[in-house]
Amino acid sequence: MLVAWNYRYRNSPMDHIDPRARFIFSFAILFAATTTWNPNILFAVFVIAITWYSLGRLTWKDTRFGWLMISIMLFTMIVINTIITGGGAGGVVPPGGQLVWPDGVSIFGRHLNIGLTVERLWFAVSQLMRILSISLVFIMIPYTMDSRAYGVTFSKLGLPDRLAYTMELSFRFIPTLARNFQVTLDAQRARGFELDAGKGNIIQKIRQVAPLLIPVTMNAIVSSEDIANAMDLRGFGQRKRTWLYELKFHWWDWAIIAFAVVMLAAVVLLAYHFDMRLFSVPNWWYGLFN
Amino acid sequence: MTENQPLPLVVENLTFQYHTRSTPAIQNLDLVLEPGQVMLLAGSSGCGKTTLMRCINGLIPHSYHGEMSGEILIHGQSVKGMGLSQISTHIGTLLQDPERQILGTYVLNEVCFGLESQGMSREEMLPKAYKALERLHILHLKDKETFFTSGGEKQKVALAGVLAMEPDILLLDEPLASLDPASAYEALLAFRELADEGLSVMIVEHRVEDVLAINPEKVLYMDDGRIIYNGDAAGLMDAVDYSRIKLPAPVIARRAKNRPAPHFQPTVPPIDPHSQPLVSFQDVRFQYTADTPEVLHGINLDIRAGEVIAILGHNGSGKTTTVKHALGLLKPTAGKVLLEGVDTKKSTVAEAAKTIGYVFQSPSQMLFAATVREELAYGPKNLRFSPQQVEENVNWAIETVNLEEELPTPPLALSFGQQKRVSIASVLSMRSRVLMMDEPTAGQDYWNYQAFMSTILQTPGFDAIVFITHDLDLALIFANRVVVLYGGEIVADGHPQDIFQDEEKLIKWRLMPTSLLKLNQQLWPKTGQYLRAEALSQFI
Repeated sequence: MLVAWNYRYRNSPMDHIDPRARFIFSFAILFAATTTWNPNILFAVFVIAITWYSLGRLTWKDTRFGWLMISIMLFTMIVINTIITGGGAGGVVPPGGQLVWPDGVSIFGRHLNIGLTVERLWFAVSQLMRILSISLVFIMIPYTMDSRAYGVTFSKLGLPDRLAYTMELSFRFIPTLARNFQVTLDAQRARGFELDAGKGNIIQKIRQVAPLLIPVTMNAIVSSEDIANAMDLRGFGQRKRTWLYELKFHWWDWAIIAFAVVMLAAVVLLAYHFDMRLFSVPNWWYGLFN
Repeated sequence: MTENQPLPLVVENLTFQYHTRSTPAIQNLDLVLEPGQVMLLAGSSGCGKTTLMRCINGLIPHSYHGEMSGEILIHGQSVKGMGLSQISTHIGTLLQDPERQILGTYVLNEVCFGLESQGMSREEMLPKAYKALERLHILHLKDKETFFTSGGEKQKVALAGVLAMEPDILLLDEPLASLDPASAYEALLAFRELADEGLSVMIVEHRVEDVLAINPEKVLYMDDGRIIYNGDAAGLMDAVDYSRIKLPAPVIARRAKNRPAPHFQPTVPPIDPHSQPLVSFQDVRFQYTADTPEVLHGINLDIRAGEVIAILGHNGSGKTTTVKHALGLLKPTAGKVLLEGVDTKKSTVAEAAKTIGYVFQSPSQMLFAATVREELAYGPKNLRFSPQQVEENVNWAIETVNLEEELPTPPLALSFGQQKRVSIASVLSMRSRVLMMDEPTAGQDYWNYQAFMSTILQTPGFDAIVFITHDLDLALIFANRVVVLYGGEIVADGHPQDIFQDEEKLIKWRLMPTSLLKLNQQLWPKTGQYLRAEALSQFI
């Protein structure tokens, strides 16, 4: 059975914003944040995203699972990829630059030469602002949007019925997968399974988690067939679909959409017309390392 | 109905063979369903019941492919030219597992799904949805999230979603499978009412005895893809093998007369009331999260060697939640659970698995191996058994569930019933001291579950056996102790004869007295114990 995200009505400002306006705003932030590497613009977008997030009145407890997932992604992308290996900065940060530790550092009595540059470190900060801006506006959606509103929102945004309902099902797939994973984990633990990450090579580790991954994957495939059958048996796709859940637009929804459009247009204008698209390091940042 | 009006459903000489099989799943089937009729379609697992339903509701050939011949007419019109959605306007299908059918996140949205597909306005669909909910007495659930409804409620919600579309033929695939006895009875009464109002209702069901209570006009019995019996309910009693489907106890007892009674001698050790409990629940309270209601309210329960415990209770009464605590899969919010004297909060589930073998409800959540043999060896290998011991355990477990020939087969390629038996065997192979089974008979036909329950109880090695069930007869035949849960509390705990003698209380706990219970009570002065129907024949 498909599970919904843990939404509850909080009577927050976000609860009163039409989901269509919310999606339009969120995608405007996404495009704005990915249009430029300019630190000032990214910072402005980041501040707007934080303000938007605060409208949801979400607590840390509500969203900690989502933030945990994003933290893992951020750690991989920024700490490992950008700062340690430098790989993620390729093509954006020019080669060379000013070393953060020109004389190397001593760790546990060993002298190490670390090639981390001030530019790569600023790139990590910029990347952090970009990813956090996008995460802030999208992570809140499942927690602040009524599960009944997804299909009708995508439909009213112009997607065909089949695609709109597929989008709704996709949103519900993640919590469903999490629940199924927990059930399978319990069932295998009851057969003596213990996840021991420290043992064996990569092949052995993959084999070790096969008892978890195979049932969860197979169930996902089988349930997708079940869902398709259940929809067919109830006439899905027979004709243009209607929706029980009603959406209502208010003046503030128009205002939010107008703000989103103006914001995105301004970012595009600054990025392409005023040449503020490329990566640059502010002088004050260099000052911190001199 | 006027004389010239075509019949709702006519099946003529229908044969179907799946592409993946070498023999037809159903052969040369003929049946006619009239308005206002309830038709019971019975038969053991794999007899072709589900295939027939899929042919009628259009899932064959739209979703399942193979060779089909013969004709299916809905109101005189062949289904061959109809799309699935067109068929769905005439035929409403309720699948066996409501969790596989429910799409909406809230009850009202779920019930309106089909109406939305028909393009109805909100003003048109709401009265139809309310009518369907009212008919099933679940209007109060309309704003509830479907995920948080109980098993019985889910079944009713799924049915309301079908009824809202106002079909004239209703196909019900094992609609009682996940329901407690009282919910099953209520559902059957609703089906009867619908038929009395003019709907044609076809019920595919193992629980034949239960369906007979609503006087189906027609009964079909299938075996090996063919219709063996097509007639009224009375004729069925003598036409079929009484060991294959669950007939009323007096019928079985009459027919089993002059035949040797089945041998049954449980091998669990005698109960020692002074021994240390294997598992001890001490004032256990539990809630899933701080902002959800408490689901267990002070459970006190000791499980000792020699006990065969049946845990009964209505849908959502806390049976599974209780049993999961024994293994440490859930930890009490208050109180404690001791496993052989050790608090489950201080041990891992893997350690607990050495003492308790726990069979989950759904086999598909655990099966993963390339062969059944590997699947059965997984548990004992995790517990560091020697290769020879693993081999012995695997062979014993597979014999117990009667699936020796499937050892080289991938478990996921087996039928649901066979998968269930493999999941049981994969826990049996661990040779745990305590065996706990959650709904071991779900998805099994009568013969299979009687056979493996008898085998398990007659196999030496278990100190205690605990099983959750909705089947009162299973508790009556196999258990020496019955625990009844109601609303998260233990409301009865004792010998089956003490618990089952008060019919009023049984009904209050949503457990309906069965014909086997009534016959046993009637013959109690002669037997002095509860027996299965075949064994009662010698006392009649």
